[in-house]
Amino acid sequence: MNYVFQYGQIWPFLPRLFDGALVSLQIAILAFCGGLLIGTACAAVKTFGPKLAAWLIDIYVTFFTNTPQLVQIYFLYFALPDMGILLTSFAAVLIGMTLNAGAYLTEIQRAGFESRRVSEMEAAEVLGFSRLQQIRYVILPHVARVLFPPLSNQFIIMTLGTSMAAVFGVEELTGQAMNINSQTFRSIEVFTVAAGLYIVLTLVASVALSLIGRFAFRARTGLI
Amino acid sequence: MLATILEELPRFLTYYNLLFLAQAALATLALSAFGCIVGVIVGFVLAFVRLTPSRLWLPLRWFAFLYTEIFRRVPFLVTLMLCFFAFQATGYDVPLAVVGAVTVALIASAFIGEIIRGGLVSVHRNQWDAAATMNFTLPQTIRHVVLPQAWKIILPPAFGFFVMFIKDTALASQIGVIELTYAGKVLNNKGFSAALSFGSILLIYFAISYPLARFGKHLENRLAASRHHRT
Repeated sequence: MNYVFQYGQIWPFLPRLFDGALVSLQIAILAFCGGLLIGTACAAVKTFGPKLAAWLIDIYVTFFTNTPQLVQIYFLYFALPDMGILLTSFAAVLIGMTLNAGAYLTEIQRAGFESRRVSEMEAAEVLGFSRLQQIRYVILPHVARVLFPPLSNQFIIMTLGTSMAAVFGVEELTGQAMNINSQTFRSIEVFTVAAGLYIVLTLVASVALSLIGRFAFRARTGLI
Repeated sequence: MLATILEELPRFLTYYNLLFLAQAALATLALSAFGCIVGVIVGFVLAFVRLTPSRLWLPLRWFAFLYTEIFRRVPFLVTLMLCFFAFQATGYDVPLAVVGAVTVALIASAFIGEIIRGGLVSVHRNQWDAAATMNFTLPQTIRHVVLPQAWKIILPPAFGFFVMFIKDTALASQIGVIELTYAGKVLNNKGFSAALSFGSILLIYFAISYPLARFGKHLENRLAASRHHRT
């Protein structure tokens, strides 16, 4: 094995990798926020709503958590055009990741909904808290503490998951790395740099999240 | 869409197509099982190394720490590409399945190593101290004191990881390992509609993953109950 590493050829392309990293982060944040909306709504319906709706949500969650995200996006990207729905690759990836995240976040949020304690709410009511005050001062701090660690964990997983957008030609970090690879043929160099950027990206996200968790919610998150 | 699927179905459900799908499903299972078996062995070694106290082991301890951190923070696809090109650089003609298997083993070791370490560390400090007082060596401590208590904590997340990993191996199709997702692409290229080929792949993944996930839940509940009972 006499491979000569030539990182020099990669440096000019570094800005493109940074751009790609930003796109990755963008997809992760958008999909996470969308998933959080879906997850919260579904968990609320599952906990408080009618049986039939809860059952439908169960089907959605089991199906999306038991099949690979990649094949789900394949389906959206290649099968939906048959029905006349044409998605750009970015939209297909985003929708696929959002639906997938929604399913996982439903599970997480449900645990949060279930962790609320009736006695706590009753105590707040006795003290004359209004409904809004109950949510703000009693339920939210408690639920946020329980939920923050798994939620931030899910965000890190999703940041790594955005790399499969490259399969569909979205120019995020991995996609840019593939492009640069086909331009320079310095494969190992490009992908090690991309890997390093992913490590930096997730480390920064982990540190930021655990700081937020510590100060805003007093959640005890170690570095994820 | 439904009409085309129904129209294609008789042509789709031939003996050889089904055989192909079954083999692909087996390949997916074999890939993830291989990853997890190697992952448990290497992961255990990594966890053990990270728990060693002496200064002599410091470099190895750092290596194990960096290994777990790095491979848990690099996406599957990037690790796969790196392995693929690294094998290419060696100049040997290695089968793609081997590249896939090595990638899967590398990643699984990091994740399972962290799960095992977490489980071992979760055993109360007093137990470790008591074992040290009895002059147990580290392997003895783990073997006779810690592991009997820790395996109940390790098993559910490790099994959950295995179930998740089956779905992650779908990405191995990107370098051309012939597993389930790749089979879906082949069938699509053969002229079957995307809805049918990827839809059936989704169903097969579901059929593999769902019973295992249910079993994992069951395992978790039972072990949690027995742990609760004893304390």
